[in-house]
Amino acid sequence: MRVRVKDICFFSLCLMAAATAISLLFIIIGYILWHGAPAINFAFLTEGSRDFGAAGGVFYQTTGTVLLMFTAGLIALPIALGTVLFSHVYLGPSYKKTTDLFIYALNGVPTIIFGLLGYIIIGEGLHLGVSWVTGSIILAVMILPSMAVSIDEALSAMPHKYRDAALVLGLGRWHLIRTLLLPRSLPGVLTGLFLGLARAAGETAAIMFTATAFSGVGLPRGISEPVATLQTHILVLAGEATNPRALTNAWGAALILVTLVLALSLTAMFIRRQVRMEAEI
Amino acid sequence: MILKRVYTFVTGFLLVTLLVMVPGGTAAAKRASIRVTGSTTVLPVAARAARSFMAAHPDVRITVNPGGSGMGVKSTGRGLADIGMVSREITDKERALFKDVDFNVMVFARDAVACVVSSEVYEGGVKRLTREEIKGIYSGTIKNWKEVGGPDRDIFVIDKEAHRGTRHVFMEYVFGEKTPAARGADLVSGANNEEQTKVSQSNSAIGMLSIAWINKDVRGMAIAENGKTIMPTKDNIINGSYPISRDLTFITNGPPQGVVKDFLDYIMSVQGRKIIKDSGYVPLK
Amino acid sequence: MFHLNKDRAAGIVLGTSFLITMALALFILAFLLAESLPVLREEGLSFITGQVWYVAGDIYGALPMIYGTLAVTLLALIIALPLGIGSAVITSEILTGRTRHIVKSLMEMLAAIPGVVYGLIGIALLTTSVRDLFGLMDGNTIFTAGLLLGIMILPTIMTLSDDAMRSLPGELRAQGRVLGLSHGQTIRRVVLPGSIKGITGAVLLGVSRAMGETISVMLVIGSLDRLPTPIYNVFTSGQSITSKLGREGAEGLGLGLQWSALAGLGLMLFISVMALTFTGNIIRGGVRPKKSKNHEVTG
Repeated sequence: MRVRVKDICFFSLCLMAAATAISLLFIIIGYILWHGAPAINFAFLTEGSRDFGAAGGVFYQTTGTVLLMFTAGLIALPIALGTVLFSHVYLGPSYKKTTDLFIYALNGVPTIIFGLLGYIIIGEGLHLGVSWVTGSIILAVMILPSMAVSIDEALSAMPHKYRDAALVLGLGRWHLIRTLLLPRSLPGVLTGLFLGLARAAGETAAIMFTATAFSGVGLPRGISEPVATLQTHILVLAGEATNPRALTNAWGAALILVTLVLALSLTAMFIRRQVRMEAEI
Repeated sequence: MILKRVYTFVTGFLLVTLLVMVPGGTAAAKRASIRVTGSTTVLPVAARAARSFMAAHPDVRITVNPGGSGMGVKSTGRGLADIGMVSREITDKERALFKDVDFNVMVFARDAVACVVSSEVYEGGVKRLTREEIKGIYSGTIKNWKEVGGPDRDIFVIDKEAHRGTRHVFMEYVFGEKTPAARGADLVSGANNEEQTKVSQSNSAIGMLSIAWINKDVRGMAIAENGKTIMPTKDNIINGSYPISRDLTFITNGPPQGVVKDFLDYIMSVQGRKIIKDSGYVPLK
Repeated sequence: MFHLNKDRAAGIVLGTSFLITMALALFILAFLLAESLPVLREEGLSFITGQVWYVAGDIYGALPMIYGTLAVTLLALIIALPLGIGSAVITSEILTGRTRHIVKSLMEMLAAIPGVVYGLIGIALLTTSVRDLFGLMDGNTIFTAGLLLGIMILPTIMTLSDDAMRSLPGELRAQGRVLGLSHGQTIRRVVLPGSIKGITGAVLLGVSRAMGETISVMLVIGSLDRLPTPIYNVFTSGQSITSKLGREGAEGLGLGLQWSALAGLGLMLFISVMALTFTGNIIRGGVRPKKSKNHEVTG
């Protein structure tokens, strides 16, 4: 009897924890929707911001976020793919642990540190200034490890004997990569890409000193100009929590950003799941 | 199947991004752009002027970033901004950091820093403070509003980040030095908007702000000095009686040239002076 | 004649990208070390034990920031740990198939929400609620930051703990039942102790995430470089290492002793986070399921 009571208490507590966790998500999403939806209309999506963000829309902020994120993906993807292919084809499994260690290390770096060092090394050192390109390089470094891990996962699922057999047969390493590894890495590449894009789109600390400008930004005319982003726009407007118009626009921007990031993450999750199901068949 | 389609789509998108970027990068060199960074007090003037200047000169792009006066000085010094917005004097320490930089300071307006309080405190009876009272509050010796004639509530003391122009000017008046430690502080804010928000969210706060940020929730204190009570108003800036006033400046590395000069000239023009006035400051004669 | 064949060309190209990736983390560490040397030389131990951070006088004591980081992390853990493990028990031991998948996906969505959006929620909702609930003068406190971080790391702890429990072989549970243990007892006496390594790893990774989070903390912590009195009073404003870097970074970047001090803060943060990440991954390594999901990366 006492066991039953204990069990009931235990499961109720766990259930309460789970219910709290799930309701947190709904509260947060609901709160963003509740406050953000009133701001969203055609003009908000297609106009530039006016009156220091209190009026107008977030068109340039949205395009800025998307541009930064895609450019970062464009830079990071080949390097991540190259890294993983190299470690699989040229290094072999004995180096795996060390390689992983470095990738995890890079992945653990707090993003504010990328922002500070990026400003010094890329912004000042390479004379690229506070710009689209500086921000993209920094974000690329930031998302590189998550891409590499996703690609690595896809390739690691493949038995080693395939690779060894191919090499024994005298097929060159490049041939092996082209015919076997690249096609195999495809789902990992896609998952990694979407995860990386989601991370880049949601990141603020790494770009707030290095890539963005608050006022006067349109579509950048080149990679050496700063962009406006949803993230930094929200950051600045968050300081005006008592100006209702600015706050409404901050929530509108947050709603767009969350939609973008969740769409990317869900795509990544969907692809990963698709691949698992195929693998299980 | 699905994967392949997604893959094609993504590759296509990345290629298009690349194609947009490369010609964009080369074309930008031909067009002028001005980067303005610094004081959030000066920012409204710069941003509004930039907007109307760009309307008349579509080939010029002016980006304006907040960050504080310290950021304005340093970004200009190191060449990351073409114009620095600075609402205080450049400090000796900053000049020492940039020995090779010839800072060119252009004063464009007068402003005053007000000691501000939450409206509840103001309506509770605190309408003026002496320098000693403010000093007592910021050094932590005066802790309750009733000690200065207000309601019986603890004082919520809001400080500003140390490099901010508003703080330099305010503290120089209150403590006689630009960067004292404020031991009584309960919270530190950054930009003017943030300070304004924190003061208005509280019912017992004291802070410091440019007079352009005073509103019905954030009230400006009169300063009691030598038996007189001086309100923080534009008139009292103009007649010189309000004791905590300052120059608002744009700084450049060396004398301004090219479009930077055109833009700064525009700010000093009739239209520019109107923008300064509308932003709440006193344009120079 | 040296003949560059396709294999070698591919090796060079791929090897270069490999080296770039490997060098990055080392480079960051070396750079932070080099940049923080001046302040370590100038301040010595008082960089860690000093309580005064006074830029105008070039005095840099980081104790309030170190305290702030530890305090918000601990608070986050107190909130996220019971919730995370409790939910993991439900998803791993009770739910099956589709429901389990949906619940876990929802938690991953919670992890995907950007930090700046959490910060906005913190400013608009949390600070005022904390102020009114606890009768404070102001809601920008260490406690508020810890609360917000707790919500942010909950998904990491929950999904990784779930992975750890799921990776236990099913026979263990069957054995428990054979021995006459109830479902709840099996979980408490067999599953939880059996997956303790994985859960510890999950917690360490969650902690490292909490330590490195910048924007949301910066927006609600109050940014006051001072130790609270009394020291356990988390209902006052404080400063974490990340919020200090976020607030003062732009202004102090690259110049003089102030930058060196900021780099020193960055170095402390980097080393602590690295230590936690490594330990977390190594501990988890032993219990990792076949198809690891690497939430530390996606989170």
